[in-house]
Amino acid sequence: MKHWMFCCKDVSQKFSESLDRKLPLPERMLMRMHQLMCRYCARFRRQLLLLRELSRSDNIVGMPPDFSAGLSQQASERIKASLKA
Amino acid sequence: MDDGSLLNPDVWVDQHGDILFRFALQRVRDEAVAEDLVQETFLAAMRAKDRFKGQSSERTWLIGILKHKIIDHYRRKKFHRSDMNVEDFAETTDQFFSENGKWQIQPANWDVNPVEAYEQKEFMDAFYQCLSQMPQRLADAFVHREVDGLNTEEICKAMDITASNCWVMLYRARMLLRRCIETNWTQK
Repeated sequence: MKHWMFCCKDVSQKFSESLDRKLPLPERMLMRMHQLMCRYCARFRRQLLLLRELSRSDNIVGMPPDFSAGLSQQASERIKASLKA
Repeated sequence: MDDGSLLNPDVWVDQHGDILFRFALQRVRDEAVAEDLVQETFLAAMRAKDRFKGQSSERTWLIGILKHKIIDHYRRKKFHRSDMNVEDFAETTDQFFSENGKWQIQPANWDVNPVEAYEQKEFMDAFYQCLSQMPQRLADAFVHREVDGLNTEEICKAMDITASNCWVMLYRARMLLRRCIETNWTQK
């Protein structure tokens, strides 16, 4: 049987797991080696990292620079009232 | 720390209302809905006030609550999802690979820069929509891990699953989410 290191399916799963727990060093090295050879797995890895970064980000992204929408006075008052209720 | 002065609901709205509103508006694209989500966030925050540890900033904490409200909002909007067991999702990830374990549906090149705001707008749309369409249990695992930053142990406890089950669910969630975003965003 072929080693998992040559199998994208196994490598992709290992990589996902590496985001949730620390894998043993040899496994991490094999994973890295595979990604040097396989651009799809390398992409997969970058994209999972991006998903993580965006999920955890608190930034306001995707807004035009002049975007300055705020709560309307009305909404602001309504919310304040609801908090005091 | 003096929690009394730190967490004052009266000044919350003035201090964080606009930012929360923008954050919500960017994701739901409807002012009335965004306002409601902000209100729900403040109300939930007030109820959970005692649980605020002060480890994160107040704003980060509020945005964390708001993210959940946004996801709930998408969930309510969307058609029903399946409540399958995690085992039933095996084929959903298997389909990405050929018999010999090579990519069959290859990850496309994503031309997205996390700091470049503009193209991210469409990207974030796809992100939230895809997350809301995902099978509930997988979406829950993903949100616990990536949005809330819980560790494996905490997720196992919250979802009553084993650690290995948790890693498999997260793998499947990531696979599905990644692919869904790619289909709904890049190739539009």
